Amino acid sequence: MILDGFRRLRKSGVLGMNFRNAGYIMAYNARSAYPLVDDKVQTKRLAEKFGIPIPELYYVVENHGSIAKLPGVLEPLGEFVVKPARGSGGSGIILIKGRTEDGFVTQSGKTMSKEDFNYHIASILSGIFSLEGGEDTAIIEALIHPDAVFKDVTYREGVPDVRIIVYKGVPVMAMVRLPTEASDGKANLHRGAIGAGIDLSSGITLAAVHKSRIVKTHPDTGNPVNGIQLPHWDKLLMTASEAMDMTGLGYLGADFVLDRERGPVLLELNARPGLAIQMANQSGLRIRLDETDSAPPAVFSSPASRVAWARDHFTGPDSSTLISSGG
Amino acid sequence: MRRPGFLPAAALFLLTCVLVLYRIIWLGYPVFPVSEGQSWQLLVNVYITPKEEQSGLSLALPSEQTGYMVVEERVLSGMYAFYIHTQGSNRFGVWSGAGVDRPEEITYRATIHSRPRRGVPIQSPLLSPFPTAMSREEQSLAQAAAMKWQASAPMVRFRAVVAALKGNWGDSPPGDDRSRRWRVVQQKYDRTDAALALFRASSLPARAAEGLRLAEEVQTLPTKWIEVWVDRSWVHLNPETWEVYPSSAALLPLAVGGFPAVRATGGELSDIRWTLNRQVLSQWKLFYEQITRSAHFLDRWSLLQLPQEFQGTFRILLLVPIGALIISILRNVVGFPTFGIFMPMLIALAFRSTGTVYGVAIFCGVLLVGYAARSFLDKLHLLLVPRLSVILTLVIACFTLLALVGNKLGLRELMAVGLIPFVILTMTIERFFILIEESGIWEAFRAAIGSVAVAVIAYGLISWETLQFAFFVYPELILTVAALQILLGRYTGYRLSELYRFRFLKGSS
Repeated sequence: MILDGFRRLRKSGVLGMNFRNAGYIMAYNARSAYPLVDDKVQTKRLAEKFGIPIPELYYVVENHGSIAKLPGVLEPLGEFVVKPARGSGGSGIILIKGRTEDGFVTQSGKTMSKEDFNYHIASILSGIFSLEGGEDTAIIEALIHPDAVFKDVTYREGVPDVRIIVYKGVPVMAMVRLPTEASDGKANLHRGAIGAGIDLSSGITLAAVHKSRIVKTHPDTGNPVNGIQLPHWDKLLMTASEAMDMTGLGYLGADFVLDRERGPVLLELNARPGLAIQMANQSGLRIRLDETDSAPPAVFSSPASRVAWARDHFTGPDSSTLISSGG
Repeated sequence: MRRPGFLPAAALFLLTCVLVLYRIIWLGYPVFPVSEGQSWQLLVNVYITPKEEQSGLSLALPSEQTGYMVVEERVLSGMYAFYIHTQGSNRFGVWSGAGVDRPEEITYRATIHSRPRRGVPIQSPLLSPFPTAMSREEQSLAQAAAMKWQASAPMVRFRAVVAALKGNWGDSPPGDDRSRRWRVVQQKYDRTDAALALFRASSLPARAAEGLRLAEEVQTLPTKWIEVWVDRSWVHLNPETWEVYPSSAALLPLAVGGFPAVRATGGELSDIRWTLNRQVLSQWKLFYEQITRSAHFLDRWSLLQLPQEFQGTFRILLLVPIGALIISILRNVVGFPTFGIFMPMLIALAFRSTGTVYGVAIFCGVLLVGYAARSFLDKLHLLLVPRLSVILTLVIACFTLLALVGNKLGLRELMAVGLIPFVILTMTIERFFILIEESGIWEAFRAAIGSVAVAVIAYGLISWETLQFAFFVYPELILTVAALQILLGRYTGYRLSELYRFRFLKGSS
């Protein structure tokens, strides 16, 4: 029975945790490249060098001493984002969109005193949100104004992001993560955000996964999550593809936000992208990874050729059949 | 992709085979390390403070006749002269000296090999006389009281006497007040003497015995019991509760027939301790002699050559790699969520002193208390290192409290709480809290339950004596464990948990 289950997973091309680790992450991601993506400051510097759009970096708080300099740095800024450089899963991020006499107003409309704000920065520096628990730095960067395309399927002020898995520079699978009330406005699937798969060739959303179940509509707004055309789709894929040239990582996840004015903006890169994207897309990664392995060498010559090949080959199935097959 | 791990794994496995076969074929090691009986290391420390010109000590020593074989004995006598005095089936170590004017420490050390069901005398022992303090009239009262069951079989008589000692005399014929008068007499004597008299009156051979509980612990008072000959074997009766000891193997007799296990003359016992430790299983103890004298390389480098006190550590340490292998299997093949990789293993090691029931209860209790405290601390906005320090302090405080409560209740398992790795527990509390915050209560509980389950499984494995022993005698077996770990490291198939995780995926359900 168990072996049958394994065989079915294998047949549908599901990528499991063990094979992801041994077959892709260990095989194609050099340890030396990890700091480039684990530290968002380094990722930003690198992206700037490659001309990839990122949220503008205002300031990096390196140590507790520089917290004192913050008032001067923040003075000209009306709105900004604070995030830990080594944070994961969206924890420790605060969006500030205004200020009062003695503090700041956060995205959700709450006020935050200067003391609490400084305490939060100090917490980031002491490594509370960092994966390894070591010392960290805090990033002050520009606030993103998300494109209105996902407005109907996003909980209040949450910022949806687009995750693209890139293998050998070829975008192989994509999803958009839509914040919900349960996820506290964060685009984090673990916390209850929903993930909608994206048809790679057209950039149109498919069915979505919410807490490992297939859903057609957003749990808070009730609007359908499938059939939404992502703007700047080709540019998103191109930028994701360039991330391989930028970092040398053969298997990575690139996270973007669609800015109202600037279009796709790179948020962060991930050297160990998760597997939930397979459920959002209702298809296994293994099939696409194997197909990429057997692509002719000419495909890998440039980002443009890699994206063109991917859009040709990874056409998602019709979304209506997907929904009926779930559960 | 399988190739690179396979070669080193095969090499390690072959190396194990070669070493084990060498030991079996050339050095003559037994193939299956099975054992019968157990070996115990007995250490007696006596501190005697002389009060008179002539002072001395009489200490009952374990003897061979009672189903226990004494393998080696060592005595440290200080300024006293020492000799062994045999009295019936008892052996007493006698230390005596004149003009000893300062406190002396006397130690006695022996290895005792217990062989249940052996060394039991076949012929029935003689009836012992009534306790000397008892008058003829009192003796006849006892006989009158026992008259009722005198004609029954030995086992029935024995049960009747035990019931009578508990105060349950059954119906006595009216007008017969002799058994009632015996009951008055019985109150005059101590419980053991009264019981011995009643057994004598019921024609059951019985004797008082003093000795030790066979358990890994320190005893400061000898245990007293009554041995009664019923149906060709000695039954052991507890004179405090009148309960029968379920197994005679749990007791080590030192002095039988009413002799005290320890007595000082012309001086005062300031302290006496009997310490019992279990040893490497017996068959190997005999084997050990051969190994120590052997000139073969592997014999000279055997773990059996280590001093006793370090051997126990290695019996456990050699199984830790298997525990790690189990954790790898549970995590990578089954997909058990656990806190950290080695945390369950360390908890399993702590279970050795606390036992699983108390161990799991303590772990869960401290985790929940820690979680409550951590939630409160969150409001205080403490920085990481000081915050962890506060939780660490709380963990230590919980341990202290548990140890004190354990002492009051007489629960050694609770007092052993200090052996639970407190640093690991502190980090677990922090991770538990973060996991609840980030991924919800369900995920956190899954990880907690997973960790405890893995710890219990690993504990069951490291407590398996045969396995401990196999690895102790053939330490090269850990190379095979390493080979399996390498092979497992190359396992790239699905995890069992992924069957559930991807259950809604198209085509896979």
